[in-house]
Amino acid sequence: MDFKDLLKELKGNLLSLMGAKFDDLKDESKKDVQDFLKASKEKLERWTTLLAEGNLTLDDYKWLVESQKDLVVLEGLYAAGVSKIKLGHLKNSILDTVISTAIGFVKPDEDKNDTANT
Amino acid sequence: MKTRFYAVYLSALAFLLVTSCASLRTAAFDQYSYQKGTEIKVDATRLMDKATMSYDSQTAAIENLQSELDKMVEYEKNKPDNTISYAMWKMIANPDKNFIAGFLKRWKDKGTLSTFFINEAKGQTVEALDLILKYEGKKDPAAEKRLQGMLGIQ
Repeated sequence: MDFKDLLKELKGNLLSLMGAKFDDLKDESKKDVQDFLKASKEKLERWTTLLAEGNLTLDDYKWLVESQKDLVVLEGLYAAGVSKIKLGHLKNSILDTVISTAIGFVKPDEDKNDTANT
Repeated sequence: MKTRFYAVYLSALAFLLVTSCASLRTAAFDQYSYQKGTEIKVDATRLMDKATMSYDSQTAAIENLQSELDKMVEYEKNKPDNTISYAMWKMIANPDKNFIAGFLKRWKDKGTLSTFFINEAKGQTVEALDLILKYEGKKDPAAEKRLQGMLGIQ
C-alpha cells in the first residue's frame, strides 16, 4: 500500500468534510489538519512495519487503515462542531451589544419617569 | 420619539438574532455526557486488553459495554441542538465503523485477537473518544447561561 496515496486520500477526505481548501483554512484549523496528517503518517509507517514483521495480519492492517479513515470523519465532525460553537459565541456577543444598546436607549426615559413619579 | 424608534428597532434586531441562525445553536456543555464518556473510555480500553482471551469468556462485560454505548447514543439523540455529538457517538457505537463497537465485532468473529492489534486498535478508540470528550469540553456553559439569562429562560 502506498503511503503517499493514502495520505493524499485522508487529506482530501478531511478537507472535503471541512468544506474548505487547505489554503483557505484559518491557522488553527491548518495546524489541526497538519497534526492529524503527521499522526496518520506515523501510524501508517508503524503499521506497515508491524505487517512486514508478521506482528499484524493483512486483515488487521486493513482494519486499522479503515479506522484511520473513520477518524477522518470524526475529525471533520469535530472541526464543524467547533466552528459552529465559535459562530454561536459571535452571535451571542452581537446580541449582547444590541441588547445593551437598546437598554441604553430605554433607560433615560425610565429615569425621567422615576423622577416624575417621586 | 426617536429614542423609542431606536429601542424598537434594536429589540426587533435582537429578536431576529435570537430566532434566526437556528443551525448555529449547540447544546450546552453536559457534565453527564462528559462523565459517561470518560467512563466508557476507561471501560472500553480495559475490555480491549482482554481480547487475547476468548470472546465467550467475556460476554457479560462485552454486553454491558454495548448496552452503555446504546444508552449513550440514545441520550445524545434526544438532546436538542446536538447533531454533531450525536453523529460522533453513533460512529463509536456502530459495529461497521472501526472503533470500539467494530473491535468487539471483530473479536466475536475471530475468537481472540493479537496483542499488537489490540494495542493499535486501542489507540484508535482512545483517540476517537478523546475527540468526543474534547468537543464536549469546548461547549461553553458560561455563554449559554448568559444567553438564557438575557432571554429570561433560566
